[in-house]
This record gives sequence, C-alpha cells and structure tokens, in this order.
Amino acid sequence: MTQINPSGIKMAIREILSLIRERSVVREAWDVTFLIAKCFCGFHVINTYVATVVLPYGPSMIPTLPITGNLLLAERISTRFGLVGPGDIVLVRSPQNPRIVATKRLIGVEGDSVTYVVDPGKSDRRETIVVPKGHVWVEGDNIYNSRDSRNYGPVPYGLVQGKIFLRMWPPKDFGSLRNSSVKNPPSDEVQSLNKASIVFFWLKNMGYSVNRRMFDVLV
Amino acid sequence: MAGQWRSVAKDAVDRLLVIAKFGCFLHVTTNYLCSSTLVHGPSMLPTLNLTGDVVIAEHVSHRLGKVSRGDLVLVRSPENPRKIVTKRIVGMEGDRVSFFLDSHGDRYRTAVVPKGHVWIQGDNVYASNDSRHFGPVPYGLIQGKVFFRVWPPDSFGPLGRD
Repeated sequence: MTQINPSGIKMAIREILSLIRERSVVREAWDVTFLIAKCFCGFHVINTYVATVVLPYGPSMIPTLPITGNLLLAERISTRFGLVGPGDIVLVRSPQNPRIVATKRLIGVEGDSVTYVVDPGKSDRRETIVVPKGHVWVEGDNIYNSRDSRNYGPVPYGLVQGKIFLRMWPPKDFGSLRNSSVKNPPSDEVQSLNKASIVFFWLKNMGYSVNRRMFDVLV
Repeated sequence: MAGQWRSVAKDAVDRLLVIAKFGCFLHVTTNYLCSSTLVHGPSMLPTLNLTGDVVIAEHVSHRLGKVSRGDLVLVRSPENPRKIVTKRIVGMEGDRVSFFLDSHGDRYRTAVVPKGHVWIQGDNVYASNDSRHFGPVPYGLIQGKVFFRVWPPDSFGPLGRD
C-alpha cells in the first residue's frame, strides 16, 4: 500500500484552488448548464409547436389503436391553423380532467349535425346535435368503451392539442394514420405506398385536407 | 471571393442562431413564467379600463391547479379559439352559481359547475359575454392568472381578489 504523501496532497489542493481561482472550472460548468438549457428550450419548442410523440393508452380507439404498445407522432401545425376536419384522429385535453390529453377521432366541427348512439351497449337510441360555434365533436372508435363527446358534450376547439398523422411503433404497423377510417381500412397497395413515401405524402398533404376545415379563413 | 461569401454566410448563420436561441428562451419564459398582455373592453369595468390596460400574467399557477374563486384569469374563449379573454373566476367545480338572466334582475338561474370546469364572469355584468352565456368553461382553457397592472401609470399596482 503506498504511503499518502502529505506534500502531494498539498500540491493537489493548491492546484484545485488555483483552478477555481482562474474560474475555468466554474466557467465550464456554466457553459455546460447553458448548453443543456438551450437544448432543452429548443426541444421543448419543437415539442409544443411542431410535433410530439404520443403513447396512447386505453381501449377507446380499438381497432385503430390497441390498448397499449403503440407510439404515435402528432403534429401541432394543423390544429393551430384549424386544418382539422372530420375523420382526423386528434389529441384533445379532457374537459373533465385538464391533466389528461386523450386521443379521439374528430367526428364533427362547428355547424355540423352529428348523430350518435347514446349508449350502444344498452340500446340503439340515437340523438342528433348541432355542434356549436367554436366547438368540435370527438368520439372514440370503440364506442362501447369510450368517454367522449357523448358523455361530456362538444369540446371547445381550444382544447384540441394536435393531430395524429403517423404510427411509429410497432414496426409492422408503421404507417400513416391520416384520414384513416375504421370503415375503410387502406388497401394493401396504399399501405405499402404509404410506408415507402411517408414524408412525401405528409408534406404534400399538409397544406390542405380532404375533409372540411375548421376555420374558413387561413391565417 | 468564394471564401468571403462563405464567411459572410457563416456570420449570418451564427447571428440567426443567436436570435433563434434568444427567441426560444423568450418564448419559454412568456409561456411558462410571466407575460404581458394588453386587455381592452368593457366587460371588466371598473377593475380594468375600457380603453386598454397592460397587465402582467403568470402562467405557473394554473398548471399547479392553484387558481381559485376571485382570481382574474386569461381564458381562451370557447366560442372563438383564437381569442383570449380576461374574466374573473366566480365558481370552481362543484360550486352552485346563481346568476340573473336579464338586466332587470327579476329571474335568476342556478347552475352547478361540473367536474373539470370553472365559471367565469366579467366584473361588469351588464356588458360581459361570459359563462352566463356560454356555460362553464373547461379548466384546460385557462391560459394564465393576471396579478399586476403596469399601464396606465395611475393604476399601477397589483390586481387580485377583491
């Protein structure tokens, strides 16, 4: 076992003190902190204004989305300009619990007349409602097990947080969720084409939507 | 010559990066800490003036669930999602709220604020379009809490519960 050299320790302490006095360590620490803060700000701005990753959980969007295990990409640009229409899957902050952001399908925008089954498990009773100004009507694809506008009414558009356009995980289901419909699943041809040119399709379709827009006037 | 252009381009990119970084920092501060807003309109008389006040709003409390009755809040309007209005919270979820249906004050109605919603009203009940017209507002539409007034100078000072 080597003997601890007291003069060596003194030299080490003197060196550490001189480093701190020169402030190079402190400056480096400050630089690293600043860099982390800048990266965090940049990442956060992208997350809030461009696109975000969503991990949906729950049975309310079966068969489109399983209970768990899917990773989706949602973009926030369309919702800012009101470019969402019926058929889109959107992120909606729940009016009943503001900390939860749910994934539902947009069924109607303001002015639409929506007919919905009130309680599909118990009866076939349908009701029709006109969606008021500034609101949207959302429903889960699995109407037997979904808390949506049929429970809490039309949702103010300000609570719509993003539009889902891509499923990233699992890899076998990788593909676009744009204008996907439970009734008309995309054919094999369209699916493979989507998988091959996903970015091209998204860029091409970003400016407009097949369905009607929420706002008539584009910013 | 090409070297000159490259250095100019590099300079431009550097400056743009500085501006972008500052923009990000400013944006995060404005959205998550504190921001200033110009508010105008008759619906909050006499608390806020008709012709426009500059107020400071903080964006921390509503994320922590710490807004309550009597607070002045910025709320995204449920009728027009591009408009942000300033109103006072009169009822939280579970409260019974009574309000008059007309200006004479003859008939009144009572409502219970549902879960996850708040009831907002302007201080000037005669000229305010608020929860008495569009119903309780989901808590998620609250954008911030107004706590200070900066302009006009003779009304400089904190704003809050009466």
